[in-house]
Amino acid sequence: MAKSGVSGYAAISARVRAMYSSLLSPQDFARLSDAPDFPTLITQLKQTAYSPYLENLKDKDMTPQKVDLAIKGRLADSYYSVIHMAPEHARSLLKQLYRYFEVQNLKAVLRAIITDPSWERVQDVLFPMSSMTVLPAQAMLEAGSVAAAVELLQGTPYYETLSFAMKRYSAEQSLFPLEVALDLYYWRQLWQEAKKLQGQDRGQASRIIGSLMDVNNLMWVIRYRIYHQLSEEEVINYTLPFGYHVRDEDVRAIAAGADLASVVGRVFPGIPDLNALLDDPRAGLPKLEIELKRRLMQQCLAAFTGNPFHIGVPLAFLILSDLEIQDLTVLIEAKSSQMEDEEFMPYMLRQVV
Amino acid sequence: MFFPREMSEIELIVPSKDLLAVTKVLSGYGVFHQTDSNYPGVASGSANTWQETAAQYAALERRVQTVMQALGIEEGQPPSSDFEAMVETESIRPMVDQIEEEVRTTSDELSNQRKHLEQLESILHQLEPVGDIDIDISSLRESRYMFSMLGLMPSANLDRLQTSLARVPHVFLTLRSDPARPVVWLAGTKANADVLQRAARSAYLDPLHLPGDYQGTPGKIIESLRNTIESTQRKIAELQETLKRLGDERKEQLRDLLWQAHTSRVLSDAIVRFGQLRHTYVVTGWVPTDDLEELTRRLKAASREILIEVLPTSRFGPNQNVPVSLQPSRLLQPFQMLVNTYARPRYGELDPTLLIAITFPILFGAMFGDIGQGLVLALLGWLMSTGRFLKSMSSLGGLIIACGLSAAFFGVLYGSIFGFEEDVHLFGIELRPLWMSPIHHILDILIVAVGAGVVLLILGFLIGIFNYARSRNMGHLLFGHNGIAGLTLYVSLLGLGASAFGLLPVATIVFVVPAVLAAIALMFAEVFIHLVEGHRPLYEGGFFTYLIQAGVELFEVVISLLSNTLSYVRVGAFAVAHGGLSAAIFILAELFSGLLGPIGYWLVVILGNLFIIGFEGLIVGIQTMRLSYYEFFGKFFTGGGMRFEPLVLTPVKNEE
Repeated sequence: MAKSGVSGYAAISARVRAMYSSLLSPQDFARLSDAPDFPTLITQLKQTAYSPYLENLKDKDMTPQKVDLAIKGRLADSYYSVIHMAPEHARSLLKQLYRYFEVQNLKAVLRAIITDPSWERVQDVLFPMSSMTVLPAQAMLEAGSVAAAVELLQGTPYYETLSFAMKRYSAEQSLFPLEVALDLYYWRQLWQEAKKLQGQDRGQASRIIGSLMDVNNLMWVIRYRIYHQLSEEEVINYTLPFGYHVRDEDVRAIAAGADLASVVGRVFPGIPDLNALLDDPRAGLPKLEIELKRRLMQQCLAAFTGNPFHIGVPLAFLILSDLEIQDLTVLIEAKSSQMEDEEFMPYMLRQVV
Repeated sequence: MFFPREMSEIELIVPSKDLLAVTKVLSGYGVFHQTDSNYPGVASGSANTWQETAAQYAALERRVQTVMQALGIEEGQPPSSDFEAMVETESIRPMVDQIEEEVRTTSDELSNQRKHLEQLESILHQLEPVGDIDIDISSLRESRYMFSMLGLMPSANLDRLQTSLARVPHVFLTLRSDPARPVVWLAGTKANADVLQRAARSAYLDPLHLPGDYQGTPGKIIESLRNTIESTQRKIAELQETLKRLGDERKEQLRDLLWQAHTSRVLSDAIVRFGQLRHTYVVTGWVPTDDLEELTRRLKAASREILIEVLPTSRFGPNQNVPVSLQPSRLLQPFQMLVNTYARPRYGELDPTLLIAITFPILFGAMFGDIGQGLVLALLGWLMSTGRFLKSMSSLGGLIIACGLSAAFFGVLYGSIFGFEEDVHLFGIELRPLWMSPIHHILDILIVAVGAGVVLLILGFLIGIFNYARSRNMGHLLFGHNGIAGLTLYVSLLGLGASAFGLLPVATIVFVVPAVLAAIALMFAEVFIHLVEGHRPLYEGGFFTYLIQAGVELFEVVISLLSNTLSYVRVGAFAVAHGGLSAAIFILAELFSGLLGPIGYWLVVILGNLFIIGFEGLIVGIQTMRLSYYEFFGKFFTGGGMRFEPLVLTPVKNEE
């Protein structure tokens, strides 16, 4: 019998709340943002929960890329703990959520095969998934070609998807169809896992996972239309018909050429200066994405109020941890490039005072 | 027992000529946790050479593994021969090349034939649904007015493709439903061919491509395909037989090659992290102090000129870089797992395993006190730990045995056996509570539970203070929430409460003064801690903002002290609930005895007991874990220690 409610979530709820309390506070972020340069930022970071992940980095390895990779180790550990403590019925969804990083790693390996197949470089950009991955990344890279690398994925969940997309890769010699197929496969599986849950778990998972999908789906549809200038039917085929706020009608309307600001404004009311943002989509889209992620963050924080015995709490914690790393990445990049506060602050999800 | 194993940091200066012998000892003994000594100032160009050597061994190892995989040979156990030496890459490469060549020709052919078979089967799969149509297949493709596409596509894309074509006239049929690869047919007017093609392509519809030699009606092509499939299958079987024969011939040789490459790779990986001086290598790392003497003896035997400097590590002060090896104890292993699930202790920090081994079963037993149910639980735990029941959870067996025995002990104190509490005779002795029956002394048991909670929390505070003192964290020791100020406030508040209710014949003022002082210390903890640690500024932001924040923090500390204490009420409440649940089962049993007689009575009693053991046992277990993790550990246990990962030549089971 699947354990849900109090009996299933008591232990994980206690553990996640303990882990949640170790997320960086607004004061921590303010301190980090005030760091005058990159070395000071690292010194400050070493005084936070990220310390154990930075201790092993030697001074010569304190590059923005290595630091970024090192702090992701904490996110990997959080996923590992949460997945192992989660009740059986909730584990598939959490594992699927974690596969996001595996999909990103897979894309990175495929790109590297074409651009620079050096394992030393590639491993510096791969999310540290340790044993929780099915990708034979190094062997794929050494396989020499995308086709041979995909063959090495036989027996993994990605093979079937990629074997269809490989026909197009062979014809077009572009990774675009492979990457789109992987994205669609990942998000469909995630949604299916959320829908397999029952009762309150299902509602919470649909809300949080749906909100996460909204951000991606909306960004895809706008980018496909504006950057890639794809036709209506292509845009529809490359996007998802489900989400929390974003409905299929909205996606289809944008694909068919509807006014972006009016559709986005209807789905997400209250976004400041939406028209101005979408007047120049190339500059405005990243800011729109930040705004949507801020709303996602609020959704996740809301999961920590009220009854804590459901999947929403661990899901929200994992997403918040990921968003925290995204903010830290902005800070790392900003401090290493000696950017002024006003240059990087708009790209932070947390409003740093 | 109360602390992780004592570690010593060692630095070795190894003459170049003894490099391999020393590395072999370090890797073979399995007690040396290597740290990187290849840092600037020490490293020379040789690190790159060793990096290349390690990469060569890794490549060889992977090649051997690939060959073994192709031949279906498992890696097996390390061979008994002395393989612990580093072999020259050139001495094993020719053999790997030769076997690889032998295997590659056959396995490549096998792989090609399999792919060919797959293609043929795929074409057959697509043509079968239209097998009865008596027209030449090429006429469909060359139609003047109609666009037509037969093919396979991912089933997940079916709906989306139809949605994307909602505004274009078309016909879309699923000719063969397949959960993964349905066969579909898309048709429309030639004028819309572009749109249809774009939509099909973006939905990953893979159109059927017939090789040139397959022509005519679908029926004829299917017949020809079936013949080719049969001959391909025969060829595949022959190639598999050849590979099997090769595998039998080369099995032992390949395993030896694999382990030689593996150990050579491990040794060279270790050397990559050594620092090199002109004629010597610098090796640094950690060793459990207990194993130091034996390791030193082995190292001296391997190199007479080796210099070994041992830097004893103080357990005091911040030791985040020291790897943590927990004291191995079979008896405490289940509790060690419980602690590690929360966090790994830091070096120098008190390992709470022994404490949790005592408190966890006691808390569980107090909530689940029953002789019979406790013994059944212990029996289940024993069956699990010996792998006779729920083998996959055998690691939890020891924990369940301890909890079951503790529950049985509290059952004796509560006078309860399988829920029976009155008029029970066991071996001629009337069973009476040795202490009290929770359901008959509800208030007493709740008070005792809170009292036990107070004792445990004070113990938690004391251990926290001890840990701060050991780590020389004077700021938190004096002013931290879990330091002396926190404990003083807690004890003073308890005293104030006891005095106010007349439980302590001491004037209230005696507790008011320390409570106020402790509250001030906690309120301005950040300032005091920064003062002690020499950090500036003393507080962040404006003074009034800080004052408000400090006030809220103090309020939060007081509330959490109160909630932590009251949290232990659940121990008594569950003991009472346990009695109540048993009483409910007996009421049900009486009802059923009226319907089915004594059989009905005992059936309900047995099923009810099984329900209590399973359901209530689980809930009580979770509550115990909550009390341990949240209330108890939170007071003193930081965790976050680095795992001790010694160099080993062969894969070994994890420590925990």
